[in-house]
Amino acid sequence: MKLKKYNVLAAAVLAAFALTACGGGSETASNEGAGSGAGGDQIEIDFFHRWPNDPKNAMFKELIARYEEENPNVKINMDCILNDQYKEKIRMIVSTDEVPDIFSSWSGTFAQEMIDSGNVMDLTSVFEEDPEWSDTIAEVSKGPFTFDGKLMAIPWSQDGKAFFYNKRIFEENNLEVPTTWEEFIDVLDKLKAAGYETPIAEGLKDQWAILHYLGTMNQRMVDPEVLAADYDPATGEFTDPAYVDVLEKWQQLTSYMGEVAVAIDHETARNTLFATEEAPIMYLQFAEISLMTDTVNFDYGYFNFPAFEEGKGDPNALTGAPEGFMISNKAEHPEECIKFLKWLVSPEGGAVQLTVEGGDLTCVNGALTEENALPAQIEALETIDAASQMAPWFDNACDASIYTVFGQGASAVATGDMTPEDAMADVQAAAADLRTKQ
Amino acid sequence: MTQKRNRTAFFYILPCLIVLGLFVYYPLIMNLVYSFQSFGMSDTTREFVGLANFKKLFSDEIILTSLKNNVLYAVISVIIQVGFGLVLAAVLEDRVFQKFSPFFRTTYFIPTLLSMTVVCLLFEFIYNPQMGLLNSFLELIGLDGLTNVWLGKSSIAMYAVIAVSQWQSTGYVTMLFIVAIQKIPRDLYEAAEMDGAGKIRQFFCITVPQVKQMFFVTMVITVVGAFTVFNEPYILTGGGPGTSTMTLALHMYQTGVVKNDMGYASTIALLIFVITAVLSSIQFLTIGGKEEEA
Amino acid sequence: MKDFSARKRIGIGEVIWMILLVVLAVLIIYPMFWIVMSSFKDYNGIFQDVWGLPETWLFENYVTAWDRGISSYFINSVIVSAGTILGVVLLTTFAAFGICQMKSRLADFCFLAILGGLLLSPQVCLMPLYMLLKNLGIKDTYLALILPYIAFRIPVSVMLIRSFFIGIPKDLEESAIIDGASFFEIYRKIYLPLSKPIISTVIIMTAYYSWNEFVFATMFIDSSERQTIPVGLMVFSDGLMTNWGVVMAGMVIACLPICVLFILMQKSFIRGITAGSVKG
Repeated sequence: MKLKKYNVLAAAVLAAFALTACGGGSETASNEGAGSGAGGDQIEIDFFHRWPNDPKNAMFKELIARYEEENPNVKINMDCILNDQYKEKIRMIVSTDEVPDIFSSWSGTFAQEMIDSGNVMDLTSVFEEDPEWSDTIAEVSKGPFTFDGKLMAIPWSQDGKAFFYNKRIFEENNLEVPTTWEEFIDVLDKLKAAGYETPIAEGLKDQWAILHYLGTMNQRMVDPEVLAADYDPATGEFTDPAYVDVLEKWQQLTSYMGEVAVAIDHETARNTLFATEEAPIMYLQFAEISLMTDTVNFDYGYFNFPAFEEGKGDPNALTGAPEGFMISNKAEHPEECIKFLKWLVSPEGGAVQLTVEGGDLTCVNGALTEENALPAQIEALETIDAASQMAPWFDNACDASIYTVFGQGASAVATGDMTPEDAMADVQAAAADLRTKQ
Repeated sequence: MTQKRNRTAFFYILPCLIVLGLFVYYPLIMNLVYSFQSFGMSDTTREFVGLANFKKLFSDEIILTSLKNNVLYAVISVIIQVGFGLVLAAVLEDRVFQKFSPFFRTTYFIPTLLSMTVVCLLFEFIYNPQMGLLNSFLELIGLDGLTNVWLGKSSIAMYAVIAVSQWQSTGYVTMLFIVAIQKIPRDLYEAAEMDGAGKIRQFFCITVPQVKQMFFVTMVITVVGAFTVFNEPYILTGGGPGTSTMTLALHMYQTGVVKNDMGYASTIALLIFVITAVLSSIQFLTIGGKEEEA
Repeated sequence: MKDFSARKRIGIGEVIWMILLVVLAVLIIYPMFWIVMSSFKDYNGIFQDVWGLPETWLFENYVTAWDRGISSYFINSVIVSAGTILGVVLLTTFAAFGICQMKSRLADFCFLAILGGLLLSPQVCLMPLYMLLKNLGIKDTYLALILPYIAFRIPVSVMLIRSFFIGIPKDLEESAIIDGASFFEIYRKIYLPLSKPIISTVIIMTAYYSWNEFVFATMFIDSSERQTIPVGLMVFSDGLMTNWGVVMAGMVIACLPICVLFILMQKSFIRGITAGSVKG
């Protein structure tokens, strides 16, 4: 009896160490594989992405299995971890020899950071040599991956953020889609008068939800040159009075979100306020369309964030960004990596599945049809296509020490614990602190 | 002979000392070094910045908010867990409740067993402003006026967070006191009763002085716990709304992990260390004392 | 004599206390009961009828929770806890034995050096530990949790085991030495078998600690395949916010092992938490 107990314990511990060894050893294993691949016919590709959760993880597994079947000489080693940890891990290994052959990347400053490591392959020629394939990739998703005229990644998905509205409620109250801030406030007031206690739903417990608003509002309000200088860690000051304006408008907007907004998260707000038709408007990502198929049973449309009359930014820009895959210039079999990615980003490969199963909008033009996608998703693609430019997410546009403080300030402004001026003073202090570190 | 024996014995202690040294004492020293440096999580070099982090510590308003919250946490926890816990233990050990005592003390102890994540997720449901148990209960008994957005108002969010710890830990402290009270000789009470002392007098004249040591121990556990609290605000509010429920440990975590400023985070950790080490030394001495007695 | 009867008399004070005790018990039990009930409901069942019993008992919530990720978190927690327990038991019984056998001032010094670890809150070491584990190349492996867990359980465990070892009669040991027993044989044949009660206490306290630990598990593990249950539960609930019944089924599963352990070994459990008086 006693012996048995010890055996079980010993087995468990052995298992622990064995598994640890597997976790740590995957890299060495793949290196060996690559070595043997050079001599034989088996080629290994290390593929690292940021979607460990289903349905996307399952989708990638399925896609890779399919690709390996069609190309028996290729073996793809997939590894993945979630968003923030992914950011941290890829930052750590991108400049070392451990850099994976293929890895996913956000656009904007994050992509820039990857490229600065010197280990990212220039893919311009890939696009030039195969126009038949590259012309199917949406132009709007290529721009954010173009640096110094060179295309550094293969775009994979695109996303944007807009106000979704309940068409029935708008019709019943004879409301028009607003295009300016004043019209927008007017719509909100009318909805309130019509008995909708929370004309606009949001879950402010999620800081990223706050940041999505602030990113758009900053872009609309602040002079683009000032904004660019402020988002740069080396020159950021945030002293422009327009930021205070933004927070004042933010305060005004949150007063329409109801008391509960500060205590719930974005998803709860969508499911319990917008989907139940209690709140007619919500600021949502296009990637959320597929999440609403089960819960939303009414017609909805969307409009871009309204323009500020006094705003200095482009009022037709759409907040959102594409995501894509980069190839390391240390990859042993670059041509195989390119071949795999071209297949992945095509209707034959993963383009349709990305939208149908994963819920994200593909950046392959024409891949989506009325048969395989939701009408709202096709409309969303058109909206993105029609935007004058894409404005990056706030938390991809500047340093974490800035947007964290900005977001906390905005949260305190929403609950009335801080004035916009005080909140901006904190941001200015954080910016000054960051400047001294550069 | 003895020397050889001593050497062998030392080799038995050594693995422990190595593990402890590497994963407890070495980080402590490195923490001190880090607090004079500036670097991010993935940086390979660390820049010496002298006292800059300490200057920042004294001008950082979030530190003040956090300290205030930690003190509030400590005060409320001491009153409820230690104060009320002691009274509760005394009542449960009273002969009148002898029959029910095992049931009650086990019940009160159960929340201690649950992981913090489970407790916090549970309280998210309790505090939920739309369907939460607390608000629907208040409506049920006709106290609609008392319903609230518990975690969304900066004036009450901290109290709501603190309440979670009271729910979870009061039974634990009560259990500690029960064990201490059971060690008090029964004849002390019998003698007091002969002298006509009431229950309240017995509590203050016998129970309290007799459990003085446990009182110290629980006091330190509770206060140290209050100054290192992280999970509850991290899961329930993330420090919000604004920074109203920020605590030192959460501020440290956000500074290091989210804002990627490991140097300053280490300086905050140093502050937590100074506060808790002083408090723990008291516990260290009391446990040491207790052991001598045993 | 009159006084003795008075002690058993039930007055108004006792009645008020009884009511209070029952109210407190309800405050503790009801929320837990509510989780268990709700874990059998679907989204609408919870949202529209917060207080009611499930209309249909959805046992499949548990299956769904298990399949959707809880199984892997659960196994990770088992592995990490088992590794921690084995490490703690081995290291601390060795150390406590060594301290008891050593006949020099060094023993006191070693004991103090080990006890000193009690002064430290894990939070204080968070940043340097993170860097250390990263530099050792074991961040995001099971060892990244097991080793720090062992380290932080050493002080209290050595303290408990040493005080037990001291109580073991010396004559047993002396006769063994006369029979020519080696150092290790004394440890294995005399000390270890006699200290089963205290070792089971240490095992329980370590299991309790490593099963529920949250801060290290958040910081030192990135991959969802290696996350332990307290952190995994957060990821799980984020990804499944609408499916509350399944989330609550996951919560119940997460609590089961420690609750079962408590029910089976209540005495050791309470001895552990009181003797150590250090909350895990």
